[in-house]
Amino acid sequence: MKLSCLQENLDRGLNVVGRAVAIRTTLPITNNVLLATDQSRLKLAATNLEMAISCWIGAKVEEEGAITVPARLLSEFISSLPSEKVDIGLSPQTKTLGLKCARFEARISGVDAKDFPPIPKVEEGIATKVEVEALRQGIAHVVFAAATEESRPVLTGVNAEFDGDLLTLAAADGFRLAVYKLPLAQPVSQKTEVIIPARTLAELNRLVAEQEEAVEITVNPDKGQALFRLKDIELVSQLIQGTFPNYAQLIPKSYNTRAVISVADFLRATKTASIFARDGSGIVRLVVAPGGEMTPGKVIVSARSEEIGDDVGEIDATVEGEEAKIAFNGKYLTDVLSVLHEAQVALETTNPSSPGVIRPVGVDNYLHVVMPMFVQW
Amino acid sequence: MPIRVLDPQVVARIAAGEVVERPASVVKELVENSLDAGSSQISVEVRGGGVSLIRVTDNGAGIPPGEVGLAFDRYATSKVENLDDLESISSLGFRGEALPSITAVAQIDMITCAAGDKAGTYLDLRDGAIANRGSQGRSQGTTVTVRNLFRKIPARLKFLKSVATENGHIANVVSQYALAFPEIKFSLFLDERMALRTPGNGRLIDSIVEVYGAEVAENMIELRGEAVAPSPRVAGMVGLPKVSRSGRGYLSFFVNRRWVNSRLLARAVEEAYHGLLMVGKHPVAIINISLPAQEVDVNIHPTKSEVKFGNERAVFSAVHRAVRQALAEQITVPRVEEIAVAYESPSGPTQAFPLPAQVHPASPAPWAPEVPTSSLPVLRVLGQLGNSYIIAEGPDGLYLIDQHAAHERVQFEKIEQQRSRREIEVQGLLEPMTLEVSPRQEAVLRSHYQDLAEFGFAIEPFGDRTFLVRAVPALIYNKDWAGMLRELLDSLSEGDKGDWAEGVAASMACHSAVRAGQTLTDVEMRELVRQLEQAAAPHTCPHGRPTMIHLSSEQLKREFGRT
Repeated sequence: MKLSCLQENLDRGLNVVGRAVAIRTTLPITNNVLLATDQSRLKLAATNLEMAISCWIGAKVEEEGAITVPARLLSEFISSLPSEKVDIGLSPQTKTLGLKCARFEARISGVDAKDFPPIPKVEEGIATKVEVEALRQGIAHVVFAAATEESRPVLTGVNAEFDGDLLTLAAADGFRLAVYKLPLAQPVSQKTEVIIPARTLAELNRLVAEQEEAVEITVNPDKGQALFRLKDIELVSQLIQGTFPNYAQLIPKSYNTRAVISVADFLRATKTASIFARDGSGIVRLVVAPGGEMTPGKVIVSARSEEIGDDVGEIDATVEGEEAKIAFNGKYLTDVLSVLHEAQVALETTNPSSPGVIRPVGVDNYLHVVMPMFVQW
Repeated sequence: MPIRVLDPQVVARIAAGEVVERPASVVKELVENSLDAGSSQISVEVRGGGVSLIRVTDNGAGIPPGEVGLAFDRYATSKVENLDDLESISSLGFRGEALPSITAVAQIDMITCAAGDKAGTYLDLRDGAIANRGSQGRSQGTTVTVRNLFRKIPARLKFLKSVATENGHIANVVSQYALAFPEIKFSLFLDERMALRTPGNGRLIDSIVEVYGAEVAENMIELRGEAVAPSPRVAGMVGLPKVSRSGRGYLSFFVNRRWVNSRLLARAVEEAYHGLLMVGKHPVAIINISLPAQEVDVNIHPTKSEVKFGNERAVFSAVHRAVRQALAEQITVPRVEEIAVAYESPSGPTQAFPLPAQVHPASPAPWAPEVPTSSLPVLRVLGQLGNSYIIAEGPDGLYLIDQHAAHERVQFEKIEQQRSRREIEVQGLLEPMTLEVSPRQEAVLRSHYQDLAEFGFAIEPFGDRTFLVRAVPALIYNKDWAGMLRELLDSLSEGDKGDWAEGVAASMACHSAVRAGQTLTDVEMRELVRQLEQAAAPHTCPHGRPTMIHLSSEQLKREFGRT
């Protein structure tokens, strides 16, 4: 293997695939990054067995070949180089990768590319396309609601339902549920539902940040893997097997109280209250008070901590229905309020022990359901 | 068979069965008689596990010649005169049953000499009747010899255990009285081997040295019950947690110096050690409770090993408080064992650091009512070791804190506090989760699911071996609480509620605490240490493991050879 490429391209490529390098693993080779010539390009790839990222960069290939070397070592070395041409050569007998850039020269011992875990090929199956911005918003609005705790594996993923030209993303961790609908740029041939690991989507969201072209999504026929193809980047993810809860039945059909409030005010009041709720389990109490003839309605956001103190904040609100009291985990409120772009949000509640619903005002493609905490009032 | 009144011999033997259960019971009755006689020396000699021979010799008051015969009649006693005396018994014996009971099941002879008598009286009894009587020289006191115990009752004889076991029981009886009466010289010979001899100098600690050995004695601390309440007065000594034992055999209780078994008192002591001992370990304690005779009823059982207190709660809390207080004054952070011993260690016990007076604003947790405890000095976090231990600096040297154990302690107290205020924080489940359990788990859960509500679990039965979970404690909502519940159901039996609640709290604390191997940021470590400083019992985790070890400045200096 003999080739040359630009330092900044190699650096960027290594950063892209670096997200998939295994950190703690029983399979040491997954700490490595694969370098392989692919026609007139250099292919970089890394995998942690749940997800694999491949990236192609332009290169002048003189001799074909492939090798794997420790990802972190190579990445740190390349990023410290001046932005000039890098000459790469492999000595096949010693499996040593030689790198030369400006007046720096390095040799890195590698492991045979044949030992690298094969990256699943996803070539046929259900294929579609999504615009980058819509996908980014979709992921951002739901991914935080997935479970981080692994006792129910399906909840660590995001349920993706492809139906016609609509993609519905849903995530739930047993205490909250986020559902976001976005258009598909290319309709699917048949309705398909898969569970994508939330970690994969979080990585995908970082990768698409620098993209402009629509993202191609392919789910293989046995629904074992999904491929996300970006410009010069491919991400292949294992899909979580299992049945996602039927979340439609968890969404309250009605409410007793509905308050429309400013997202920014609500977020500030919640964050302020959370400071006082930190010592306990983050309980933030909301009192929704309807207005009188002359006075506007309001939402009173408070928190108290035994031995420490308490805090009360008020937000103007347009309240419909009766007075309501409900307590939430403050983190659940800040999580959802932080991703909303809309100016106003509607909070719908039924009683102190039934789920509350948060909907941005003016759009109807997102809703968030949060289970309250049961407290003494 | 027609109904008839039993033959006196049959009556005697039936009654004897209650008092004389095994050789150790004979020893107990005879030693108690010697104590009641005001002896200052009591010697016990035993052969063949007490079956061949038991001989108790004392230098007490003795029995005048005219009363000797009467001593062996049932319900004959010099200790109680009328009904009123029963209300305020201060002697160990009073029923007048001991000697006649023993004569019913053994051969017995007695030599006794009362003060002022010229010669002693000799008496030999067989089958409950006087066989021989005469005069024999003896200094003041009484010697009772019991031979061939249970020979006439083969069934009872068959149930006796090995000589070693019976000797063990006898040694225990004598040891207990030696502990209760440090001012009396006790000696015990088992098959002509001296098993115990106490100096009789009135110092409990010297008796402990003889009974339990120097190692235990070194680690005993004195109770100072007087300061708290005049009645009941609690005195004695308890062992530091490091001399814990795996059985309850080292708990000795005396009520007005009568040796008693009491679950109430055992519980009072064990609760005082709460969190200081590892699971399955029990403390060493020798405790005498003095209270007016009217407030305690010893006449419950012929062997008088059980007592009833007029005010159980007062006794319980007096014992609990006395023990807890003594411990709180003593317990310090376990120190790092010295690696080298080449240097001379400083003499005398060194207190790791002066314990600041505890000021605790919060309402006290229910399991440690108004009890002062030791707190930590202010610590400065230096870093994390092996992702498991926090290294901190205190006013006197280095502290290594086990992050999991420390957080467990903090969470445990938080849970107990929330529970005592009935303010446990609960997170509802968006979708009720079904919990499937094994048949054994089901039995436990069925009897306890309502108790779990106290901790924030809303669980209801939902068909066969299935339960529906609607809400979980906020403290563990983002942890594997289903796994925790299953573990809990496996580890806990359908025991009494007190243990159960503690088990649940400890389990929740354990599951909500940071794990070993988890990297903590500086802020997190500081916060954890701050919370630990405020904990009521910061030195141990709920399971009794230490949360920290301390390497004092003094020790560091010594290790580096700077002294």
